[in-house]
Formats: sequence, structure tokens, C-alpha cells
Amino acid sequence: MRVRIAVLERTIASGQVPTAGEIAADLDLPLEMVQETYAKLGESHVFVCEPSDPSRLRMANPFSAVPTAFRVSARGGSYYGNCVWDSLGIIALLGGEGSVETSCPDCSEPLRLHVSGGTLVESEGVVHFSVAARHWWDDIVFT
Amino acid sequence: MLLFRSEEHLERSGKPKGAFMTPEQTWRLAHTWYHDRDDPSWHRRSPKEAEEVFAEIGLKGDFWVMT
Repeated sequence: MRVRIAVLERTIASGQVPTAGEIAADLDLPLEMVQETYAKLGESHVFVCEPSDPSRLRMANPFSAVPTAFRVSARGGSYYGNCVWDSLGIIALLGGEGSVETSCPDCSEPLRLHVSGGTLVESEGVVHFSVAARHWWDDIVFT
Repeated sequence: MLLFRSEEHLERSGKPKGAFMTPEQTWRLAHTWYHDRDDPSWHRRSPKEAEEVFAEIGLKGDFWVMT
């Protein structure tokens, strides 16, 4: 639990999803222990691990560790979301004030969603889920 | 989950059609799902609990069944 919270807090503060080494240093824990915790958080679908590197996460949901088409501004910080849902989730987690900037996958026209005071005050477009819920975790990066 | 300008833009993109929701529904889903994610007592929802959240915002039918 300490590791999960530390990952989220460090991501919120820095805009970057931390490595296991950074969390081990922050919490004064052995690196192996943090790597094991990363693996367990991945197996339980709380976070998503980077398959080729036990020290890295691909997603610290709702945050993405890698650049995506979803740029989120909230509470003075700038983040990448994994999808529309997670991008709005970042704003919810950070107090309900912020914006998501992305573009239409068909025409590339910029699209923006803005939340203020916990209410979606600017919106455009439609959200599309290509994968049925029971299959989301078959390939979460594609989902 | 991607944001398209319209349903027609999804059809034009050639991507297979799944399910649509409005940005407002997505905000409600995102808020319910993530607002307390940094609470130490947070726990991952069971599939049944997740389906209840979907139903609350009007997402019903086989597409939203988790099991």
C-alpha cells in the first residue's frame, strides 16, 4: 500500500511515473522489494508493468508513464493519460479542475474537454470503446 | 478509449465499432473510478461492483459485462 501511494504522490508531484529505484530510495526499502510490489500491483490490475523492465511501470493508472495522445493539465501540473477515461480520472484525482487535450483519430482535429468545479463545462466529440469490458485486460495497452 | 469528433468519424476511420458514450458519462465514470485512488483504504472494485458503476451512468448491456 505504501508503494502504491508513493507512486501516485511522486507522479502527481513530478509529472513522471517513478522507477522502482526512485520509490526504493524515497521509502528506504530494498529495490527488490519494490520491484516485487510493482509486479504484484501489475498482476492485480492496479497498475500495468513494463514487460521488459521490472523497475518500470507502463501505467500508474490513471497516469501513463509514456507519452500518449492525451495531454492533461490539472492542479498546475502536466500529465499523460492512458485514454479519455483515465485522462478525466487524473482531473478527478486532482480535485476536479483541469483539461484534456487530444485529437480525433480520424481527422486529427484538436479536441478539448474542460472540467471546472467538479463539472464538465466544455466538451466535444464522442468517446468510443472498441473492446468489450470483459476483454479489457486481455491487452490493456490496446484497450 | 478514444475521443472522436463524431460517430461518423469513427466509421470513416475504418476502426471496428464498439460502444459510444458521451464525454459527460465518461467524466462521471472517471470521477467515480478515480477520485479516491490516492486514499490508502482504496481497493480495486470487483467485477460486480464495476458493473454497478457502469449501470449507474447508463452503460448497460452485454458490452459492459465484466465476467
